[in-house]
Amino acid sequence: MSVNVHYAASSFLCALVILVSTDAFAQADEPAIPQSISKVLSGNCLDCHAGESAEGDVRLDAISELNLSGRLELLNRVQEQLYFQQMPPADAKKPTTNERTLLVDWVSRELQKHNASKLEQKLHRPEFGNYVDHDQLFSGEHADLPGFTYDRRWLISEYIFNAKFDRMLHGRTTWNYRGKRVTVFGGKRFHQLTPTNPFLLPTRTGVRYYANTDLTGGHLSTMLTNAQKTAEMITGYLVPRHRKSRDQYLPAIVKIMALEDQHNATLLTRREFLETNIAQVCQNLYGDQNNSLLPTFVPVVLKEVKELAEGETYKKAPIHVAQNMLSKLGGEDAMYQMLLQPELNDLSNEEIRLRCERQWFYNGDHERTIQGRATILRDYLPEFRERLKEKGTKIKLRIYKPLADEEMAIIHTAIKAHRKQGDFYTAVIDRCMTHWEEDFRRDRVEAGPPSDELLAELVQQLSLQILERTPDSGEMSDYVALVRSYQKKTGNLKAIQKLIQTLMLSSEFAYRQEFGSGKPDEHGRRMLSARDASYAIAYALTDQSPDKELAEAAASGRLQTREDYRREIKRILARRDLHYLIDPNLTDRNYRDNVTNAPIRKLRFVREFFGYPRALTIFKDEKRFGGDRLGNAMNRLINEADRLVEYILENDQNVFEELLTTENFYVYHDGDNERMQAASDRIKRIYHHFRDTDWQNFKKEDLLDHRDFLKEVKMRSVDPDKLDARNRQGNTIQLFKKSMTTITARLDKGQREAAPYDLYRGYGNDFMSGYNVAKFFNFSLDNWDYQTIQPARVANRRGLLTHPAWLIAHAQNTETDPVIRGKWIREKLLAGTVPDVPISVDAVIPEDHSKTLRHRLAQATETDYCWKCHRHMNPLGYAFEQYDDFGRYRDKESLEYPDKLISEGPEQRGNHLIDTRDVFETLPVETRGELEGTGDDSLDGQVAGAMDLAERLAKSERVRQSIIRHAFRYFMGRNERLSDSKTLIDADQAYINSNGSFDALIVSLLTSDSFIYRKAIEK
Amino acid sequence: MINRRDFLAASTLGAGAMALAPAFNQVFAAPNASSSPKRFIFIRKSSGIRPAEIALRDFSDSDKTLDKNKEPFEADLDKHELPKWLRGLDTHKEHMTILQGLSAKMSENIHWSFSSVMGCFKSNRNTLSAIKRTTIDFELARLFPSPFGHVELSFAGGRTGIVDGYSAPAPQTRNYCYADPDTARKELFKSVLNPDAVSSDNDMLAFLQSREGLRLSGVAGHEKKRQEMHLQSIDSIRERNQKLIEISETIAKHLPEIDAVHANGGKNASTPEKQAAMTDVLVSSLIAGLTNVVTYTIDDLGTPITGLPGNETDRVGIHPLGHDEAFGGVPAWMTREQIRISHVNQIRTIIERLKQVPEGNGTMFDNTMIMYFPENGETHHGVGKESPFVIMAGSNCSLDMAGRYIRLPYLGNAGHKTLGNWYTTLLNAHGNPIEHYGDLDPEMARKKLPQTGAIQQLMG
Repeated sequence: MSVNVHYAASSFLCALVILVSTDAFAQADEPAIPQSISKVLSGNCLDCHAGESAEGDVRLDAISELNLSGRLELLNRVQEQLYFQQMPPADAKKPTTNERTLLVDWVSRELQKHNASKLEQKLHRPEFGNYVDHDQLFSGEHADLPGFTYDRRWLISEYIFNAKFDRMLHGRTTWNYRGKRVTVFGGKRFHQLTPTNPFLLPTRTGVRYYANTDLTGGHLSTMLTNAQKTAEMITGYLVPRHRKSRDQYLPAIVKIMALEDQHNATLLTRREFLETNIAQVCQNLYGDQNNSLLPTFVPVVLKEVKELAEGETYKKAPIHVAQNMLSKLGGEDAMYQMLLQPELNDLSNEEIRLRCERQWFYNGDHERTIQGRATILRDYLPEFRERLKEKGTKIKLRIYKPLADEEMAIIHTAIKAHRKQGDFYTAVIDRCMTHWEEDFRRDRVEAGPPSDELLAELVQQLSLQILERTPDSGEMSDYVALVRSYQKKTGNLKAIQKLIQTLMLSSEFAYRQEFGSGKPDEHGRRMLSARDASYAIAYALTDQSPDKELAEAAASGRLQTREDYRREIKRILARRDLHYLIDPNLTDRNYRDNVTNAPIRKLRFVREFFGYPRALTIFKDEKRFGGDRLGNAMNRLINEADRLVEYILENDQNVFEELLTTENFYVYHDGDNERMQAASDRIKRIYHHFRDTDWQNFKKEDLLDHRDFLKEVKMRSVDPDKLDARNRQGNTIQLFKKSMTTITARLDKGQREAAPYDLYRGYGNDFMSGYNVAKFFNFSLDNWDYQTIQPARVANRRGLLTHPAWLIAHAQNTETDPVIRGKWIREKLLAGTVPDVPISVDAVIPEDHSKTLRHRLAQATETDYCWKCHRHMNPLGYAFEQYDDFGRYRDKESLEYPDKLISEGPEQRGNHLIDTRDVFETLPVETRGELEGTGDDSLDGQVAGAMDLAERLAKSERVRQSIIRHAFRYFMGRNERLSDSKTLIDADQAYINSNGSFDALIVSLLTSDSFIYRKAIEK
Repeated sequence: MINRRDFLAASTLGAGAMALAPAFNQVFAAPNASSSPKRFIFIRKSSGIRPAEIALRDFSDSDKTLDKNKEPFEADLDKHELPKWLRGLDTHKEHMTILQGLSAKMSENIHWSFSSVMGCFKSNRNTLSAIKRTTIDFELARLFPSPFGHVELSFAGGRTGIVDGYSAPAPQTRNYCYADPDTARKELFKSVLNPDAVSSDNDMLAFLQSREGLRLSGVAGHEKKRQEMHLQSIDSIRERNQKLIEISETIAKHLPEIDAVHANGGKNASTPEKQAAMTDVLVSSLIAGLTNVVTYTIDDLGTPITGLPGNETDRVGIHPLGHDEAFGGVPAWMTREQIRISHVNQIRTIIERLKQVPEGNGTMFDNTMIMYFPENGETHHGVGKESPFVIMAGSNCSLDMAGRYIRLPYLGNAGHKTLGNWYTTLLNAHGNPIEHYGDLDPEMARKKLPQTGAIQQLMG
């Protein structure tokens, strides 16, 4: 595979020129530098890069003294400088176009000779995607180049990893979706197994999932542990659980393990029976002789309880603690069996304890265990008896039931054969078990190993379950031989487990396959094989393997034309009967509204492109936020950004423009307008009911006058039938008043609707968590004209770039970050490039208590050296200074320094209406910025602020095309090349012609030559 | 000390370690700047360490006032008597540091901290996605590679076998740990105790290697390199297994013997017995050279405690004790003290055992640092404003702090240090020039107080 470095570089306006003596490469096996190159080089750069004082320590006059690796290293640096236009400096002499072409060509050739170009690898990385010239991509000049992707494997993503386990292990996760419980994709917990996901994607904003990541030893070693645990779960839980169901899970395992399972089940039944009943069995078997066979009872010694020293206090641990401990010590059942027997009611506590102790002793329980149990009984038995009387117990009095006669005969025979004088019962049981285990083991040896046919069945089923395909004949015989060798060494169960591990550790499990098949066309391209195509389509839109229809299409030859692809893609895009968890982080936080019914990768593109979910990782201070429960508010903020995106995607008209300029947002709303209206109506009813009463001075009995109303509206913790009830926040009347205070605040300033947040601040939530999300949008909880119908217009906001989630995600912990915001726009929306911060730069914004952040930043970055790069970022980012680092709109910036403190904010103290922020002196914010780089003079120029900027960006052709370039990378898993020009132009046209449909864009990309065609890697 | 650029260059492979499985990262670890091996033992305890109970009883009046007011000062330990529960370490006072005043508000507090106390992030009640970064123990393990890389031992929850641990080899991943001495011994010394298991793994890897090798034919370019990398990865694991087999004779010499009471999880073993056996395995694994970093959760709120002096026949719970609810007629504070004494006994054993093993011009302990600290801050319901540490470090310790009681400025004041600063100190002193490890403290940030970097007064 090679990248057309030469082509791209030759169009650059600058070149770093090196002077190399003509014999520098003539040494050893190196060819001499052509005279033409030497001439080009000699006239341009020695002024800077020669001698002891060579700039940047790049000494080009001494290259002949370098060994091969040193020379290649230097040429790589030269190639990069040429490609990324970093040298010569803007004020230096430029080589001619011809000189430049000669030089680039030669450097490239020299590196290729040794397969040593590092640039080629770099250019595959996402951060270098924009280095392919935008204008050339969309000019049409290259539209006749045949599009294709090289044959490749693509490492699975963290999401596909979860989906594979979900499918393989029959995972089933349910979640809330619009008031209903639905089964969702995206769960990642399976019974007792939580696999470690080694395929985590990078946390950067922008496209995160690329096909250029390799499987490493790290992945593999993590998979070793995962495979081992999975194999144990399959054989130890899933197979037994589904053994008797109609859809048996891996029936070959059931067959292979049938005899062993049957033996184990028998052994388990016998052991359980004996552990519960051996005293009774022996009593029946030996009659009066039984006691004489038992060991001599020796009671345990309990530690004496000493008197407390004078002045010492003692608080005994409560009964529930003791009960829990007794249960963990395995003594609870014996105690309750005693206490539940009516004939033992008259026994003293001491007698009960001794009886229990005797039973445990004969059983053979360890002395310490008995001591622990007996101590608990000594200290708590009276309370246990009391508790039993008051609350009863789940433990039932046990009635002895023998097993079937045949089994009892076997048990009796074994006991008689193995019981010795003075044996504890446990010892008898253990000997019997050993005897039976040995008998069964012999039976299994006699039955012989599994047949080759059965092992082939096993390989077939496991291959389908794990690799989702039937093995070919060669593989089949290899795997059968392998499992046979495992079986000989380790037995059936371990052999099966090892085979499972082997299949899971295959590279095929970790990589998606995308290879062409059939006859190559005139350009050497072949269409994706039908099977690979089905996975490519499925994984483009979801994390799951192909659905039934897609798999059938692939299997039956209906996935061989562009039209076939189009049919399947449109079908999957239209599906709304499947549900997907949106954000695994929100799932982990048990956030409830976190599901979509549209193919997940559509929404995920927008999430990753804008990068707003990153806000969850920015650590924020609640005091500066102005209220507590910031985590809940942040969860809701992200989720409501998702909901807004989902809403725009679902409308599927002018999607990019809407994302950038919508004036409508969700704020504390779950998307169900009716539900929100009903919640507001309820609060309004309460307000109107009590508004004209003297509720502030109510006594608790006054609530009885409103009993029927209160029963109907159900105010939280206000039950007129339980006037004396209380919780940590207060008693009934106090909670009523607290609630009325907040209800009044919601409606007494002319608000039309009531925000349905908690009536008072207590544990949990009355309605939905995250009410403080309002603060991000400058809504004060005590004066919020809530919108029940959403998305709804919010003042001073325009599009996702003004959504607090995006603003926080692109801010620091305590300050905004115009640089990172500007960089995002430059790279994501304007298809521009910004070099990395030079390693020698210590990027620190100076402290100055009398200046705004913008002015402090300007001080640090607007010097000549820094401004070369910062001019591409700061003017774009400055426009967002009208929002603070929480995304709150502002016209003044607080100078948050101790010497600028005006007043300290109050503590929350259980009142969620309070704003806890400190008040500082302020300075006006300056939001003027500048847009440059749209290529459209009517858009470029000074902008008044973020909303103005968003409006202009949304009108820009370059912005639209830049988003399409990122969509290309997202769906193809790679950077675009000039040969993808037609694919990109077609996608752009599809978007325009469909009035801005994102679905149309996806269909265009996934039916393009770039997606459909594969070319063999050039050797 | 190496600089950041050198470190990044040297740890190119180390970047891959972000996704490594527990106990394997050493294969890909970054090279350490220093050639001498260093060892770190993190001992996590539950239910807090109250700053007052670790303060010295015989402070001068002025120091007493400073300590009470939580103002910075230092005192020489050899001029003072240790609190009763720490006296088991009296003879090792010259190696001791009592570090007061660190805050831990950026990690989880109250009852549990899970992974967060060693990673400086909020753990969201132990959810995987909240694990923001590699924990400090794994970071150190990368600097000092060994066959197992990192070993985690735990008595949390009274579990047995191999279970989820609290350390994190990478973001969003959770280590496993050995939850009883018998399991720890069997797994760590598997190459001696169960060579067939290792050999069976190698059979599987050999098969995989041959199958994946077949895929090499017919591929070119990057796909070929990929496949070669895959084969190398398999080979690395085989090599590690092979290495364990090769050094099994050495390992066998240090094989710990543990009492039969610990068989099958040791449900009848008392707490002192369990602790002693686990300590034995821990020390043996260090001496055998299996690891250089151990994290040992000596208890959490769910660890059943039995057989302590005063509560010999009781089973006591740490959680009720934290709420001052007591057992067997013994006041809660006394039992809590006995628990701490039992911990100190283990620390003493580790020191004394390592002091008996020659290394270089001294002993293994010279290159060892033991940190004993609360997982959740300053009380049973810690809030993280303080997180006291007891550190026992050998003579070659890279930090300048031995033999001192050090109280750092209190949270929210100039010069205050967080857990993040402490871990940064550990990393900087041992070859990782990271600017700051862990999340920042919001109060320090709000007050615009500097809070990044190592604790300079401790840097040697």
